[in-house]
Formats: sequence, C-alpha cells, structure tokens
Amino acid sequence: MTKLAQWLWALALLGSTWAALTMGALGLELPSSCREVLWPLPAYLLVSAGCYALGTVGYRVATFHDCEDAARELQSQIQEARADLTRRGLRF
Amino acid sequence: MATGTDQVVGLGLVALSLIIFTYYTAWVILLPFIDSQHVIHKYFLPRAYAIAIPLAAGHLLLLFVGIFITYVMLKNQNDTKKTQ
Repeated sequence: MTKLAQWLWALALLGSTWAALTMGALGLELPSSCREVLWPLPAYLLVSAGCYALGTVGYRVATFHDCEDAARELQSQIQEARADLTRRGLRF
Repeated sequence: MATGTDQVVGLGLVALSLIIFTYYTAWVILLPFIDSQHVIHKYFLPRAYAIAIPLAAGHLLLLFVGIFITYVMLKNQNDTKKTQ
C-alpha cells in the first residue's frame, strides 16, 4: 500500500466516522456541547495542519545554517575536477 | 547562518501559528463546554465565523496563488515570443 493510499484510507475512515456522528446515523444521543464540538471538527483539523505547516516553516527559517564543511568539500572537488580536466587537455 | 532578520521573521511565524492554534482551539473545542453566560464568550465571535473565516482565508489564498501562477505563465509566454 502506498503512502497516498494510506492517507486516503485514513481520511475516508475519519470522514465517514465524522459524517455518521454528525448526521446521527448511529442513533447515539450525544450531549449538545459534544455536537457543537463535532460539526466544525474538519475545519479545526485543517486549521491545525495549517498552523503546524506555518510553525515548521518559521522554525526552519529561524534555525537554518550554512553547510560550511560541505561547501569546502564541494570546492575541493571542483578544484580536483578542474585539475584533472586540464591534464586531459580541456581549456577553461 | 540565519541572520537576525531571519530569526525574527522565523520566530514571529512560529509565534503567530501558536497564537492562532491556541485561540482557535479555545474557540472551537473548549467554548462549548463553558457555560453560555460566562464572561469569556464576549471575547469570541459567533460560532458560525469559526468556519466562515478559515473558508474565506482559504479562498483568498487560492485566489492569490491562481493570480500569481497566471501572471508568471503569461509573462513567460510573452518572453518566449519576444526571443523567437
């Protein structure tokens, strides 16, 4: 099962549970405050996901750092490649 | 390294998301369990707005993304026509 299928299954399961509870298909008598919480629940989940995404982006912006070791390694590899190519007769 | 501005902007985004999450959680999840005569209800809009505002915000976001994509694509098209 791919990741997409997993997500779709989970969403379908959650969605049908929510729909059944909201429409009262199960014949449960929920207290009115529970029903008040239940009906905006999809919007709430969406807003939470949005907040998480915004927070992640903000956190990564605040803490990103330069990869100086990697930059040095790449520079040295470029030098090496240039030297090798010059030896084989390529002119830059 | 992340400069001072980056840190301010990033932490500002984190703070904004935390504030929105806390307020929205209090609004949608906690408020129905609090007595409807309580003072706290003065600080929140009617419940229908809990859906309407995110919906409107989402539509605005989609609209702006659409306008941006259209603008970029039209610009690209004009540029390729000029070079040909």
